[in-house]
Amino acid sequence: MATGGYTGRILRVQLDEGDFKVDKLPQEWIRDYIGGDGFAAKLLYEEVPAGCDPLSSHNKLIMSTGPITGTLWPMSGRTVFVSKAAQTGIWGESHVGGFIGPELKYAGYDMLVIEGQSDKPVYILIEDSNLQILDAGKFWGMKTDEVTAAIKREHADPDIQIAAVGPAGERKVRFSALIINNARAAGRTGMGAVLGAKNVKAIAIRGRGAVEVSDHEAFTELAKAAHMRVRTNPQAQEMGKWGTWILTAVKQEIGELPTYNHRTGVFPGWEKLSGDYIRPRYTVSDRACFGCSLACKKMNYVREGPFAGTLAEGPEYEGLMAFGSGLGIADYPTTLKANEICNQYGMDTISAGATIGFAFEAFENGLITTEDTGGLQLEWGDSQTVIQLLEMMGKREGFGDILAEGSRAAAERLGRGTEKYAIHVKGLEVSGQDGRTHRSIALGHATGARGADHLRSLVVVDQLGYEQVARERWGADKLPEIIDPYTEKHKAVAVVESENAYCIRDTLIVCWYSVSWPPIFWMQDFADMLPLATGEKSFGDVKNLTKIAERQVTLKRLFNAREGITRADDKLPKRFTHEPMPEGPGKGQTVDLEPMLDDYYRLRGWDLDTGLPTEKKIQSLSLGWTKKYASSH
Amino acid sequence: MLITKAFSVQPHASALPEVVWLPSQLTVDYTKCTGCRICELACSAKHEGLFQPSLARLKVIRYDDLGIDIPNVCGPCEEAPCVEVCPVYAMRRDPISKMVFLDHDKCILCKSCVGACVNGVIRLDTREMRIIKCDHCGGDPECAKVCPTGAIQYGPISSGTTFERHSKIASYLREIEHSAETQSSKGGS
Ligand code: SF4
Ligand code: SF4
Ligand code: SF4
Ligand code: SF4
Repeated sequence: MATGGYTGRILRVQLDEGDFKVDKLPQEWIRDYIGGDGFAAKLLYEEVPAGCDPLSSHNKLIMSTGPITGTLWPMSGRTVFVSKAAQTGIWGESHVGGFIGPELKYAGYDMLVIEGQSDKPVYILIEDSNLQILDAGKFWGMKTDEVTAAIKREHADPDIQIAAVGPAGERKVRFSALIINNARAAGRTGMGAVLGAKNVKAIAIRGRGAVEVSDHEAFTELAKAAHMRVRTNPQAQEMGKWGTWILTAVKQEIGELPTYNHRTGVFPGWEKLSGDYIRPRYTVSDRACFGCSLACKKMNYVREGPFAGTLAEGPEYEGLMAFGSGLGIADYPTTLKANEICNQYGMDTISAGATIGFAFEAFENGLITTEDTGGLQLEWGDSQTVIQLLEMMGKREGFGDILAEGSRAAAERLGRGTEKYAIHVKGLEVSGQDGRTHRSIALGHATGARGADHLRSLVVVDQLGYEQVARERWGADKLPEIIDPYTEKHKAVAVVESENAYCIRDTLIVCWYSVSWPPIFWMQDFADMLPLATGEKSFGDVKNLTKIAERQVTLKRLFNAREGITRADDKLPKRFTHEPMPEGPGKGQTVDLEPMLDDYYRLRGWDLDTGLPTEKKIQSLSLGWTKKYASSH
Repeated sequence: MLITKAFSVQPHASALPEVVWLPSQLTVDYTKCTGCRICELACSAKHEGLFQPSLARLKVIRYDDLGIDIPNVCGPCEEAPCVEVCPVYAMRRDPISKMVFLDHDKCILCKSCVGACVNGVIRLDTREMRIIKCDHCGGDPECAKVCPTGAIQYGPISSGTTFERHSKIASYLREIEHSAETQSSKGGS
């Protein structure tokens, strides 16, 4: 029985009725799902009917937190948005840092569920027990930074946390994001479009209450010791200094820096996109999310050149890749400006960049011409065109309207064989990795519940060669193959085990950068901490945590299966399986996906032919209840 | 756009009340602060036994548009307006440590000190109806211990640190504004 950590309440916003409702958080959800992603998966499966249009009133937008959100545990400020994805029509989730998750807890709620559809633009105000649906007519059309400032001014409170939709979400750009307080993005899978379709411009949250854990003293001591582990970890210190920019050089070195729409893995201009180059020239301050002693976020200022005067946070490594190497641009200010536009319009940087890359490559190969683009010449390395296209996408103007559909749908509309340049899995553009030179991520991209995902199962132990960690986690018998980036062997073991640990990470919810890279905390650390936070003794057993994680992965799979996903959809763009890496350290490498898939399904207890969870597995994970909701309501 | 305005430095009052030498104080270097709010969490954890930043005895203000984070702590106040304003001498200065402390038994909850505090860190807890105020953790400040960046320190100081930190921000912003103006006069956007 859980006694601490949770507020025990789910807040529902019923837009159709213009009303709020507070439900009790069921105890068995805690026991079976812990929180975060897990709660959201349970609720989405039960309440969003199979086959519904993600942009219809039947879809729901869920914001979920975990038992330690808002506590002193390191990097526990993250929160997750879950919905049937506007971009892909399957499972959608997007995690975000900042401060909004803790604020929801302090206001007294573990989860927020937005249901129905408003007939006019509104914003939702949650101030402890003061709950209001307010007119947002005057905010409609505003960029996210503008509406954020306007709401704070209106309520005369700088501490309000705001998740806002920009012009892109209003226009239902398929990869539109929710932007939290100017620069934190719940970027992927199109959460902005889901909220925009509900006519909600923003969610504004302010809480003055408390989060109480089960054993305050023991938890606080453990949390302080955990902070010291982060503070003294040499790799974490480097991350604090360079942020995710540290990855550019690493990826270039191993030949996995996606360049020219993933054509190759090395980029001649990489140095200008590396932390060493950027920080001394542009960074003005280091910033952190809630409760984070690492502080990977950087505020940057451009003093000269075409983008002079830009003062903005970001981008992450993924943005450097998406607008830099991915488009052949060796210029940091362009990536900062592009990132800023994405934040202001509310768009996902990875998908926006990749969709532009798709267009560039199709244009280069003559499959589309200036007739399609409205006269625009598309050329690798052309910063101004990238900036122009982003604004056109955000406003759905001209050629931007087609690109606003994302690369898969744009290729369908354009036809002419352009789909071979749409580098996506299940409709979600591939993030900044390449399976050819990092085999485990090929499997991760192919099996990720939301599509080509780098956050649910990305193994860094093989990528960066942590031999000792690999030995401890997976056993000496799997070395050296398990850390050899060029072989398929044992990769499913690493992927499944990492995916399980990240599942727990995403139920708590803590930041990727305390678990995944560098590997500071793992399952045992969570098993030591969770009972102190919650009072739930069963969380103290790693075996049980693993089972909860498996349950969660399988539940998401069942959600996708209900939307028609099978093994046939767990595939990669031909670029990774049929085009050998053209140069660099991994020259000649391709991915042999099928054997890894077999291993993965076997470990997961899913059917090898269909890729769907077997009856036996469903029962052993106590997921029999899903049958009740198996087809459309 | 006048972004420097919010940080404009208050001139010294001409008639100075009691000015004292401060042995040990909390000092803040805003340039180091990342806005993580670990200090707020640790303060509420120590003094309230729960995680509730709204009851912390210090307050971090985040300016997300500018990328600046400013921790506001109690002191250093050579002249303490909260002591001056308190009508019943509930807010007093310890003669030895020079720390300003609140005598809860005397407090009549008039809230004058809440408004008078130069750093906005005296708060009214509306649930238990009491004034909450930093007590420097009795000389062993938790916030300074947990701060990962050294933005909050505890020790003897020279006067004027508060003013200095505000003027640093002003100069940082002036630089940004200046370049922005140069750019726009050049026709940039
Ligand atoms: S590591 Fe970075 S993203 Fe993660 S919580 Fe800290 S500041 Fe936020
Ligand atoms: S609220 Fe209490 S301490 Fe503050 S000024 Fe009034 S009487 Fe003094
Ligand atoms: S010194 Fe102690 S009471 Fe004062 S703000 Fe810091 S932690 Fe809180
Ligand atoms: S703990 Fe330190 S760095 Fe973090 S907000 Fe407080 S003063 Fe700033």
